[in-house]
Amino acid sequence: MIKAHIYKTLRSAAGKMELDIELNIQKGQFVTLYGPSGAGKTSTLRIIAGLLTPDKGQISVGDTTWFDKEQKINSPTQQRKIGYVFQDYALFPNMSVRKNLEYALEKKQDKNIIDELISIVELEELQNRKPETLSGGQQQRVALARALVRQPEVLLLDEPLSALDINMRSKLQDYILKVHKAYHLTTILVSHDIGEIIKMSDMIYDLKDGRIQKVGEPMSIFTNNQLSGKFQFVGDVIAISKQDVFYIVTVLIGQSVVKVVAQEKEIVNLKIGDKVIVASKAFNPVLQKIEK
Amino acid sequence: MNVFSGHISNIQVSKSLSMISVAIDNAHILKAILVETPETASYLKEGKQISVLFKETEVIITPEEEPLISVENKIRATIAIIEKGELLSKVTLASSIGDIVALVTSEILEGLSLKEGQNVVAMVKVNEIMLSK
Repeated sequence: MIKAHIYKTLRSAAGKMELDIELNIQKGQFVTLYGPSGAGKTSTLRIIAGLLTPDKGQISVGDTTWFDKEQKINSPTQQRKIGYVFQDYALFPNMSVRKNLEYALEKKQDKNIIDELISIVELEELQNRKPETLSGGQQQRVALARALVRQPEVLLLDEPLSALDINMRSKLQDYILKVHKAYHLTTILVSHDIGEIIKMSDMIYDLKDGRIQKVGEPMSIFTNNQLSGKFQFVGDVIAISKQDVFYIVTVLIGQSVVKVVAQEKEIVNLKIGDKVIVASKAFNPVLQKIEK
Repeated sequence: MNVFSGHISNIQVSKSLSMISVAIDNAHILKAILVETPETASYLKEGKQISVLFKETEVIITPEEEPLISVENKIRATIAIIEKGELLSKVTLASSIGDIVALVTSEILEGLSLKEGQNVVAMVKVNEIMLSK
């Protein structure tokens, strides 16, 4: 659905970099751009949004061409059907939540979309408050809703959750997935958080120095070998303790702490702070209902 | 983790489950049951190179030569090294497919009088074996 071949020479404090990227994203896919700072992730989003003009290349979404250097096509941002959410919420401080959303309406657009969005991201109680009275997570929910007012086909998310604490992040991730599905969006996320990427994405583009290193499903990008275990989580090693003839590795997965028995040869290359996959078979875990 | 590589020699599918036989060498086939089928996992193909993984804690050891027991995977081995801990001991078993490490209670090690040099059978249930590409 999104086909893009973009080429641009970027200049930054670190020097000159050639961005040369080809994207082929299916309609309805949730794609993440991953890679070190300065790899070209944000520039790629800005180019898709029309905020930055490539030196050459083409960008088309469905049957519509947004950019084609040779044919001299370069649709302005307002005509591209995109929603854009940044780390910085950039809400109007003097307007209520509802007014912030209404401001994004196009002329003659049906206002029902505002109520629908307020309902889907659960802002009913907050709709008459000013942004400054809201928490970071609530403001980001408003920013997400505002990005969807014009009913975009493509949602661009530039590290929208990186300023939030882990609880808020997890909730916002759920809201993003909810609107992604509800509005059949094609979403491109820039993120560094491997747990977040695995939870949200169908496909990853791994970028470095302006080039795509790898493309694939999250599990195949972040692990060397694909495990058959159905019970898999990504976590951070927070402790390694030696027992007499083995080790116990403590891993933080989301907000839960789990412990795994390991042998010496498994922990030789492991240190605190490393990301690991914790895997078991579907046959081993037991379920216990939590009584409310 | 115990890791052996081999190739898939047989696949039996029933609904969402598959029983995968992995030939480690001509004499040793290890079986694993997965909640996966060749339709859901592209690596499930006969002849495909694959690794078999199982945890040390899931290895059962018996001194009996032909144990009557509901465990599918059995490998003949010799106890090479015993490292005793207070509650658990690490037992390294030498077999024709390579070393297998087992973590068993120190109590049962004494109870069965298992000693270095002794011939045993190492066993692993099909639901404890994971496959890795």
